[in-house]
Amino acid sequence: MCAAGEQPDPQDDDRNGADTASFAALLEDSAEELYDHAPCGYLSTLMDGTIAKINATLLDWLGLTRESVVGRMRFTDLLTVGGKLYHETHFAPLLRMQGEISGIAMEIKQAGGGRLAVLVSSVVKHGSTGEPLLIRTTVFDARDRRAYEEELLRGRREAEEARRQAEADRARLQEALVVLQQSLLPDSLPPIPGMEAAAYYHTASPERLGGDFYDVFPLGGRRFGFFIGDVCGKGPQAATLTSLTRYTLRAAAMHDADPVAALTTLNEVLHERYAAGGDPRYCTAVFGTLEPDPVSGRITVHLASGGHPPALVLRSQGTAAFLPTPGGLLVGVVPAAGFTTACTDLGPGDTLLLYTDGLTEARTSEARTSLYGDEALLAFAARHAGEPPRTVIKALTDLLHSFGDGLDDDTALLALGIPTTIPHTKDS
Amino acid sequence: MSPLKISHRDTATGPVLEISGELDYTHVTDLRERLTTLALQPGQRLVLDLAGVTFCDSSGITALIAAHSRARTAQADIALTAVPTHTMHVLRMVGLDQILTISAQT
Repeated sequence: MCAAGEQPDPQDDDRNGADTASFAALLEDSAEELYDHAPCGYLSTLMDGTIAKINATLLDWLGLTRESVVGRMRFTDLLTVGGKLYHETHFAPLLRMQGEISGIAMEIKQAGGGRLAVLVSSVVKHGSTGEPLLIRTTVFDARDRRAYEEELLRGRREAEEARRQAEADRARLQEALVVLQQSLLPDSLPPIPGMEAAAYYHTASPERLGGDFYDVFPLGGRRFGFFIGDVCGKGPQAATLTSLTRYTLRAAAMHDADPVAALTTLNEVLHERYAAGGDPRYCTAVFGTLEPDPVSGRITVHLASGGHPPALVLRSQGTAAFLPTPGGLLVGVVPAAGFTTACTDLGPGDTLLLYTDGLTEARTSEARTSLYGDEALLAFAARHAGEPPRTVIKALTDLLHSFGDGLDDDTALLALGIPTTIPHTKDS
Repeated sequence: MSPLKISHRDTATGPVLEISGELDYTHVTDLRERLTTLALQPGQRLVLDLAGVTFCDSSGITALIAAHSRARTAQADIALTAVPTHTMHVLRMVGLDQILTISAQT
């Protein structure tokens, strides 16, 4: 044999001969020695399973002597109960059918009462006329492999358990988020004498608490207050802002129901709470009041807007128009913000529609900039003018659903209108 | 998705940030971070050049408000320039055109 880089030696053949001899000396063990002390177990059985020959390695694993095994035990006697059963139902039939079988995992009993995981392979030796003579079997120690498999199984069980736990946690969190989200919105709108109110809230993602809000509530007398808005941001922080905003507006309205006064109070509260501490948070909002005229049955709407998209008025004659509130500033950004007011009155068949920008900023195609927009909304509103608030909200809900993935923001809708046939209520 | 690109140059009156791309929830953090580390001296004017802005949502508005607060804290002034039509529409809607100086040119 040449070492790397060595010149070929003319005496190569002689050297090869010498090497072979030295290998033979190294491999001094006879075939018998190799059989007996191989790193695996060997045994040969008669066709009925009686053990005819077994090597020392296997005897050592079993803790048995050759005398107690050869001619006295069958292969199945070495197996555990489960192993015997498996041998009977699968191993032996397959071996008979195929003449060989390999790599079958079994357990053999040890004299001390232990068990040893092994991999068993067998082959049938046939005579010159093809009749089966005996079965040769090798037995490999599979303890390491078994331990590895068990480790894998344990790992898998642990992963499964962790997954189940994570899913349970997730479900609990989801439930908490739903409850929290609901706490930011009214359970139901109060009955308003002579009016019908309908609302819808679209949650873009259950994990990201939305920041849109609305409410309708009595102000005493026959007056009602309402608001709709959108806070900046998403998630729990936005939710705390929404909560603060909602309760501030309700409390402010109890004190002074003038829309500008209510928004001004909210602006002061938000600015003091957040912006003054260097963490500006803000919202857009429309706050309004509904004041019925007991004589005409019409409702006067006063509202003020702080940076919120303009309300729409849908008239019974089938027209729709924005109620513009330009120049109203986001609420909470600067200490003294100006808000823009607007006024209108509603007769039978008229509906005031308030919405958040999730609706107008819904994408109508793949392109980021193709948004639904104000004009499309105005046209849509005109098509539904004259319909009662619930029908208008239903139509808009269907519209929102039609956006599919294009609707990636929370969206709140609130419609307040006078039905053409005034429903009889306890108050009227 | 076009990522947000912000390039910075200094002028005699103060720093100018040229912003291009989408000012949205995903990308606006870059601008907020840039504003935090921006060197701004009292009396300077910070100019945000929005010529390359293709989209601006409420997160973008929040960033502009943060820029406004940053300038006020530093006793500096702030102005927006080259505001695209769609962004101008949003600014008017939320009334920010009243508290941010908006100029046609740098």
